[in-house]
Amino acid sequence: MTNISLEPINVTRGQPYPGAPDNWRRFFTFSTDHKVIGIQYIVTSFFFFLVGGTFSMIMRGELITPDADLVDRTVYNALFTMHGSVMLFLWTFPVLVGLGNYLVPLMIGARDMAFPRLNAISFWMIPVVGVLMLASFLVPGGPSQSGWWAYPPVSLQNPTGNIINGQFLWILAVAISGVSSIMGGVNFVTTIVKMRAPGMTWFRTPAFVWAVLAAQLIQLYGLPALTGGAVMLLLDLTLGTSFFAPERGGNPILYQHFFWFYSHPAVYVMVLPAFGIFSEVLPVHARKPLFGYRVIAASSLLITVISGAVWVHHMFASATPGWMRMFFMVTTMLVAVPSGIKVFGWVATIWGGKIRLTTPMLFALGGISNWLFAGITGIFLGSVPIDIHVNNTYFVVGHFHYVLYGAIVMAIYAAIYHWFPKMTGRMYYEGLGKLHFALTYLGTALTFLPMHPAGLMGMPRRVASYDPEFAYWNVLASLGGFLLGMSTLPFILNMVSSWIRGAKAGDNPWRAIGLEWLISSPPPVENFEEIPTVISPPYRYGTDEPLVATNLQQELTQTP
Amino acid sequence: MTTERAIAQQVEAGVRQEQEHDEAGNSKFGFIVFLLSESVIFLSFFAGYIIYKTTVPDWYPPGVTGLETRDPTINTIVLVSSSFVIYVAERFLHDKKLWGFRLFLLATMAMGSYFLYGQAVEWSSLPFSVTSGVFGGTFYLLTGFHGLHVLTGILLQVLMLIRSFVPDNYERGYFGVEATSLFWHFVDVIWIILFILIYVWQ
Amino acid sequence: MKLRAILTLTVYAILAIFASLWMAKQAYAWFPPEASAESKLIDDLFSLFTGLGTFIYLGVIGPFLYSLVFHRAAKYDDSDGPHIEGNTWLEVIWTAVPLALVLGLSFASYRTYDKMAVRGPMELVHLHMPQMMQSAYAEPFDSTPQQEIQNALESAPLEQIDVIAKQWAWVFHYPQQDVSSTELHLPVDRRVHFTLKSEDVLHGFYIPAFRLKQDVVPNHEIDFELTPTRVGTYRLRDSMYSGTYFAANQADVVVQSVNDYQQWLADAAAQTPSAAFNRAAYEYSRANSNSDNGSTKDKVAVRGWETIPPAPPPVVNYAPKQEPQSPPA
Repeated sequence: MTNISLEPINVTRGQPYPGAPDNWRRFFTFSTDHKVIGIQYIVTSFFFFLVGGTFSMIMRGELITPDADLVDRTVYNALFTMHGSVMLFLWTFPVLVGLGNYLVPLMIGARDMAFPRLNAISFWMIPVVGVLMLASFLVPGGPSQSGWWAYPPVSLQNPTGNIINGQFLWILAVAISGVSSIMGGVNFVTTIVKMRAPGMTWFRTPAFVWAVLAAQLIQLYGLPALTGGAVMLLLDLTLGTSFFAPERGGNPILYQHFFWFYSHPAVYVMVLPAFGIFSEVLPVHARKPLFGYRVIAASSLLITVISGAVWVHHMFASATPGWMRMFFMVTTMLVAVPSGIKVFGWVATIWGGKIRLTTPMLFALGGISNWLFAGITGIFLGSVPIDIHVNNTYFVVGHFHYVLYGAIVMAIYAAIYHWFPKMTGRMYYEGLGKLHFALTYLGTALTFLPMHPAGLMGMPRRVASYDPEFAYWNVLASLGGFLLGMSTLPFILNMVSSWIRGAKAGDNPWRAIGLEWLISSPPPVENFEEIPTVISPPYRYGTDEPLVATNLQQELTQTP
Repeated sequence: MTTERAIAQQVEAGVRQEQEHDEAGNSKFGFIVFLLSESVIFLSFFAGYIIYKTTVPDWYPPGVTGLETRDPTINTIVLVSSSFVIYVAERFLHDKKLWGFRLFLLATMAMGSYFLYGQAVEWSSLPFSVTSGVFGGTFYLLTGFHGLHVLTGILLQVLMLIRSFVPDNYERGYFGVEATSLFWHFVDVIWIILFILIYVWQ
Repeated sequence: MKLRAILTLTVYAILAIFASLWMAKQAYAWFPPEASAESKLIDDLFSLFTGLGTFIYLGVIGPFLYSLVFHRAAKYDDSDGPHIEGNTWLEVIWTAVPLALVLGLSFASYRTYDKMAVRGPMELVHLHMPQMMQSAYAEPFDSTPQQEIQNALESAPLEQIDVIAKQWAWVFHYPQQDVSSTELHLPVDRRVHFTLKSEDVLHGFYIPAFRLKQDVVPNHEIDFELTPTRVGTYRLRDSMYSGTYFAANQADVVVQSVNDYQQWLADAAAQTPSAAFNRAAYEYSRANSNSDNGSTKDKVAVRGWETIPPAPPPVVNYAPKQEPQSPPA
């Protein structure tokens, strides 16, 4: 109530180009407006989230009994491969890129991304990746069945003998997704470094923007290594070279290094924006500044740096030498420090605040509590002796699903609810939102908690059948999996109905502080009629200090 | 009040100018970021090469004792000097001397093409193929992947040459040429490392 | 007010400590039985992690939940919370404490790894020198498993066993007696040295009751050592995804007294090698048999794709009696 600078700037709606549709049809055009692209990303990837979720529910159906009796073993293997690939390359990465796309220019006071056309091209590669991935179900021999790691020599085995097999399509799809991500990375880094509004110094930049920057830097240094590995794998598969093929003198372990050099930091590519979302949502709904904002912001970059030197912890049970195991154990555990800084900061943020348990707040809080648990089991996994037992068991599966579903997907939901009024100008239905939260939270616990004891007892991951001693935990996990499937229904209902006929939300329903809340909802093309001048750090809840210079005259008188 | 208003409008215009019309600056920044990222692919190949070279017991395929270095050295000299040639071309453009620019750009292209020709000759005369063990694989992978970059560089230069005939092409700066030149230097640096790894370290 | 806060905090901390201790004790029950000296080392470490992890979890989640319950805005309260941007001391503490904690945990893990010495003499030679063992033995913490490893090393030469993994079978070869088997028999309280080999793809040599796992890499012989300490039958599972019948690639591990073990070796050596039952080969032949009447050819609901054919059933001296329809032991 006391924040006086929240007057919206009046603007007339512009168009991205003459004759561009101004209704739902614009989402089906090659629009270069970052907000249209952001929503295109979010909606497309949500579709693939449902696809990947369907795969996982078939898998949980198979695993509800110990025997391999629902689907053939090859089908099961294809399903877990495609589940992982779709969820990572077609849901988590793109949806976070979509959120970043939508929010970053608004948050830093820019009219668009640095390279709008490149942005649109990056997006339109995602459907291509999706079509290739799903098309692999139709080729002889079926989709890739080597897991989303595609470890050779299994990934090089080709029972049908066709060159165009599932693995080939998989590598192609991943390569295209990689190109899209690198283009996105260049775009984000340039936008964030070069296009912040006047007055927005680094320590006036919102934590979400910091997190996106940190994540995209990882894409830029990590993805090329995976690309290198993928090219060599493709040559092995098609031309018969011998990089990773042991029968021809190659070294399959080297592939693991290439793969994990990117794919472990890739986890931070996904989790850092989630951290950013927590850091944005909590202050708004607790009406208190982000506690230790500078440290939280900077710790994102610290994670970027550390994550470049942790990849071997995926290979503690591979033929890695002892010194390597010890070195990477220490670096892995060090990640707990910047992550811990964030968690403690969030708890201190809500402490003593004026908390409102809105749906985005619930999802953020739920996500943080899950992240806390996943972070602790992560430290277990970092310890070499413990990892030697639990590596490649369901303990790991439980751990990373707690990260991916428990923390990241929760954060994505939080973000969608939080910025839904901004994106659509309408309010979602709070009751449905809370139902969605309850189902998601319970579903997450019921699905992924039982995986931990199953793993400790020694159930390997990726099995289509298992010994009856694991049945109890698997039945629980399967029931939880179906519950998670159900949990998307209220969400879809909520989004569709409130977008069409929800109550008008106004420009700033949360009374939040941030450049994106200063403009109308949904924001006009080119966002800002007048680029604002930022005069204070973000999250100034509890003070009267304005975020931006209310008009230019004032700014001129302040800085003569 | 009216003067203040005018100053305000000026400031706003300046801000807009900086934000929106610094596209060339953004593009340059973005391009450098891209090149840095691209270099990691080469770094990963180099790392792979070093690991293979130091761990694989039978490095050379049967019948191969090493690589001939005379022709590749000439090739290297040509490619590396072309970096200076394209720099001269850029200076000409900077001084608005279009024909000098075109001439030197053409020379760069010729040198790049000579390099590719030399590579092709070397490839065709080698007694091993891409499937000849890890050595054959890494050799063709590194030189081939680099060759693709050289080809891309030459195509970019052709594009720049064509665009130099478009009237008023350089009214709004010449980011394209700068990027092409930067890319060419990048390709050169990569080749030097590659040459040391493959030909010098035998 | 301040006193009350301190009191509450103290009581909560004490409760959290008790809960953590309880969890650390419970942690031992989450595993299969401890059947090797190494498993005891790992379980102790795991228990330590569980205790600390529980304490951290409770330490964070307690204030978190407290705040959620007691710091809620009233229904028509539109005001902001206090403007607190941070606290340097707090931030320093919650950077330094986790740092010290993870470094400590790394050190504890290193100690445990060092004592296990599972990667054989090639890697950790010094552990096989008696004086080093002696100094480690002087430690009061987890001295028993160390002693067991030490005793096993001193009582008899290393028992050498070759392990061959393939798609999808495990074959164990005892070079001294030239006996092969599809069931792994081990003498209790003896240090066993495995040479792990793969014939095709990556596999994972994983015995949960021993808490030990090592990937098996083709073209690469890997040394691996462990010390079984408990008589019984356990399960060996393939832990590195190895293709279609990966989940069925399991074997039994029988830990026996030294006499029983010698007896078994002698009996097995007397038998002529014959083809053992192999689950993958059995399922494959059933799925691809031409003599299908359309009814019982395949019991899955959804048919699959072409697969790499399994290796023929291994020909071994000893194979456990196994019926095709019997559930896995």
